[in-house]
Amino acid sequence: MNLIVAGARKEYEDGLSVAELIVIENVETPMYVSVSVNDEFIKSGEFETTIMKENDNVEFLYFMGGGE
Amino acid sequence: MVLPPRSSERTAMREYDIDETADITDVVCPVTFVKARVALDEMEDGRVLSIRMNDGEPVQNVPRSIKEDGHKILKLIDNGDGTYSLIVRKVGE
Amino acid sequence: MAFSNEQLERYSRHMILDEVGVKGQKKIMKGRALIIGAGGLGAPAALYLAASGVGVIGIADADAVDLSNLQRQVIHTTPDVGKPKVESARETMQAINPDVEVRTHKFFVTADNISSLIADYDFVIDGTDNFPAKFLINDACVISKKPFSHAGIIRFQGQLMTWVPGEGPCYRCLFNNPPPPDAVPTCRQAGVIGAMAGVIGCLQAMEAIKFFTGAGKLLTGSLLTYNALSMDFRKIKLARRPGCAVCGENPSITKPFDYAAPVCEGITI
Repeated sequence: MNLIVAGARKEYEDGLSVAELIVIENVETPMYVSVSVNDEFIKSGEFETTIMKENDNVEFLYFMGGGE
Repeated sequence: MVLPPRSSERTAMREYDIDETADITDVVCPVTFVKARVALDEMEDGRVLSIRMNDGEPVQNVPRSIKEDGHKILKLIDNGDGTYSLIVRKVGE
Repeated sequence: MAFSNEQLERYSRHMILDEVGVKGQKKIMKGRALIIGAGGLGAPAALYLAASGVGVIGIADADAVDLSNLQRQVIHTTPDVGKPKVESARETMQAINPDVEVRTHKFFVTADNISSLIADYDFVIDGTDNFPAKFLINDACVISKKPFSHAGIIRFQGQLMTWVPGEGPCYRCLFNNPPPPDAVPTCRQAGVIGAMAGVIGCLQAMEAIKFFTGAGKLLTGSLLTYNALSMDFRKIKLARRPGCAVCGENPSITKPFDYAAPVCEGITI
């Protein structure tokens, strides 16, 4: 299946969950990443049970605490 | 001391009822246009402004910029002393 | 408001712009912006807002200038080391533009002082360096319906988002809760490229100017991310989280509160 992950279209295995995608994409600080699929946030408790569909648009949002 | 209007300006004032005047001879580009813009901004729609400007760059550019802002140019008068008076009717947004 | 010839000259490049014009410059000069944190993000934001002629600029920070700040906090100079940051910032801003009124607030924001502080301003810029402060500013601004610009920077990356009442998600929609202290690296531990603070802080100033003038479209409903290494700017469209604890349908947070400060830092801005 095709997914758009962080703006890039790529081929992935069918039936992938958000949790599995986080591992495949080697997401930094996976415990604290926010995920949106098709502009909607996925609750962190639902990463395992949320299954990606063809053409889903996935974004990872990272904490950036700096500013000083 | 207020000088009496020059003859060409008197003619202009007879033709158009001038409500406000602005002098942009004391500033240079791009402040010339900005000063004219400020004068027009503070007027009500339909009022007439006479803008005194220097020959050269101001008279080449300021009338065009004012026209681009949507105001109506009524007349450009050569004052014969190296300055021009641009008569403009304000057109509101 | 009548402009002096000097003001016409100072602001001429703004007033020539159709999107700003005479009216827009007047709006900027009537604007009141609060910058929380006189550091990496706050420095460029404060410089550009002062140069733009924003009528009243508040700057809040309790720290003093440290030598390690000068790699990015361009509002402070080497002779300022040891001086309160708000004082150093005020001096630079007034040197750039004596027209603006700079109000210094030499304290860190807390749940007790933030609501009365932001009440005096039209737009808030979050230039803080820690999650407790960023969540506090978000909550206080959402509760007070005060438009603000969020930003964060680390290493070669930065992000920002603007919130105005009723438009788009708030910071808490994006991240729910701060990460546990020290779970996510901060600038102090991870480093940050100095120019990153300049890029993102200037974008925050741009949002404030757009807010005051009404020019264009604000960065609401999207998080802008910048990766300097790949040179990618990405605008990530995001919806509100209906269950958000502060801006959602049934908010559980109805007044600002403080999170514990990160152990290694103390609560610094």
